[in-house]
Amino acid sequence: MFLIPSATVLGAVLIFPLGYAVYLSLFNYDLGAGIYQFIGLDNYAALLGESRFWGSLQRTVMIVVSAVTLEFTLGLLVAYGLYRLTFGVRTLNLLMFMPNVITPVVAALFLRWIFIGRWGLLSGILIGLGIFPPDFLGEPSWARFTVILADAWQFTPFMILVLYAGLNTVDQSQIEAAHVDGAGPWTLLFRIMIPGIRPLILFVLAIRIMDSFRFFDQIYVLTAGGPGSATETITMYTYALAFRLLQIGKASALGVMTLLLVAGAITGVIATLYRRERGAF
Amino acid sequence: MRPSPRTQIPLFLALCAFTAVTLTPVVWAIMTSFKRPVDAFAVPPTIIFTPTFEFHYQVWVEKAFWRFLINSAVVSICTVLISVSIGTMAAYGLARLRSTASRGVLFAILSMRMFPHILLAIPFFVLAKWLGLINTYPALILALIAINQPFTIWLMRSFFLDVPGELYEAAEIDGCGAWQVFARIGLPVVRPGLWVTALFSLLLAYNEFLLSLVLTGPDTKTLPVALAEYGAEDINYWTLSAAAAVGIMLPIVAFMMLMQRHLARGLAFGAVKG
Repeated sequence: MFLIPSATVLGAVLIFPLGYAVYLSLFNYDLGAGIYQFIGLDNYAALLGESRFWGSLQRTVMIVVSAVTLEFTLGLLVAYGLYRLTFGVRTLNLLMFMPNVITPVVAALFLRWIFIGRWGLLSGILIGLGIFPPDFLGEPSWARFTVILADAWQFTPFMILVLYAGLNTVDQSQIEAAHVDGAGPWTLLFRIMIPGIRPLILFVLAIRIMDSFRFFDQIYVLTAGGPGSATETITMYTYALAFRLLQIGKASALGVMTLLLVAGAITGVIATLYRRERGAF
Repeated sequence: MRPSPRTQIPLFLALCAFTAVTLTPVVWAIMTSFKRPVDAFAVPPTIIFTPTFEFHYQVWVEKAFWRFLINSAVVSICTVLISVSIGTMAAYGLARLRSTASRGVLFAILSMRMFPHILLAIPFFVLAKWLGLINTYPALILALIAINQPFTIWLMRSFFLDVPGELYEAAEIDGCGAWQVFARIGLPVVRPGLWVTALFSLLLAYNEFLLSLVLTGPDTKTLPVALAEYGAEDINYWTLSAAAAVGIMLPIVAFMMLMQRHLARGLAFGAVKG
């Protein structure tokens, strides 16, 4: 009974639009030219046969994998550092958490002012050191690197926060037992801490993969997918199709495919990690 | 283990260094917003300069960014009011329903969180255009509720789960109806959680960009949309857009101070008990 209002609203604003998008994906619907005709699965076929689609998919996977790996590694190290630190933890934790709550558009601009050619802080510092700076946003491989760093800047704090909260829940008696056995900090981390918070790790990884797959705001502001198509991810491509080229049908098809891909990726990650877990215990 | 200063001090310094690097872009932007263009464009970058409030004034008053602030406020507050009230009821229902059925529903809600916002933006855009709702508040508010709702339900549910079930059962034995138990027992007990949830969904709505970009027009533009348009234009507007960006960030810093204790729980979807 308590579920009815929410279910009604979710049905109207979430399930219905989603269904409508699937429906639209079966049409050649061009808002600019005013074309609207049923073409079945042709949009999907067209996308699968197109190098721009495969290129954007490849870049998305590359960006997601690099960013999430970087965030997790750094996040775990810093969280463990905070865990072992005995003073000033609260203040540090709060300060380093700041980037995560900043509006993504604002965050992207902040980073833009660091990385932009000539006037950016980073270029300025490099010039000061007598090094000729690369064009961080204008050169394809650097632009991709910058976009990954931008994702990491904003979401590593999230990893730190959640993993740190997790580390504090690990059973104290296990830790003491490990100490008695003479375990050093690294052994402790890998043998006790990580296995102890495995479900949480699984959870943050899943969340981060879902979120970075649809990472849009920062790329839009930092590079708008450029230079050329160097940072055009699937989401950026969908945006361009729908709102620049006004090919609504094809864009919907791409959106539906993204949804299936993300669902697949998440199921994959969870299944692999669970399987490994079963072997380990 | 006794913490020895020999390991604690390097660890502390390393973490300070990490924090410093992390905060550099923020500090740099704040400094830029107080600089005149001469100082902002100096190579190598200047650290010492005479600060000016001129650009903060210009962007918020003369360039009328305050209008976008009003748009943002209207949209976010409406979203939160609707989303949290219906979400709280659903969360209560799910928390009391500790069965396999509720797990199914929860999983469905979680999977709603994962789908790409762009896939929601397209049908919303087409429908809103068809109904003439582009550049109005309701279209954006509805879209924001859609992405807000799963989050609200999950977080509120975690607060309801903290309440011992006996409390409700006692009320039921005393002859309270289902609705009364919710209003008299459930709600008052989770009131702090309600505030936390409301503030987090406010943050979510305030920060949202993609749907706002697609569904707003000149009259309803929210702050992130206005800023993205402005800041991406020309580097000559640098100090102005820095002033706008810093202004947009201020409420968030206040939010963070207020929510310190609840950050982990709120952002991790209630999965971590804070």
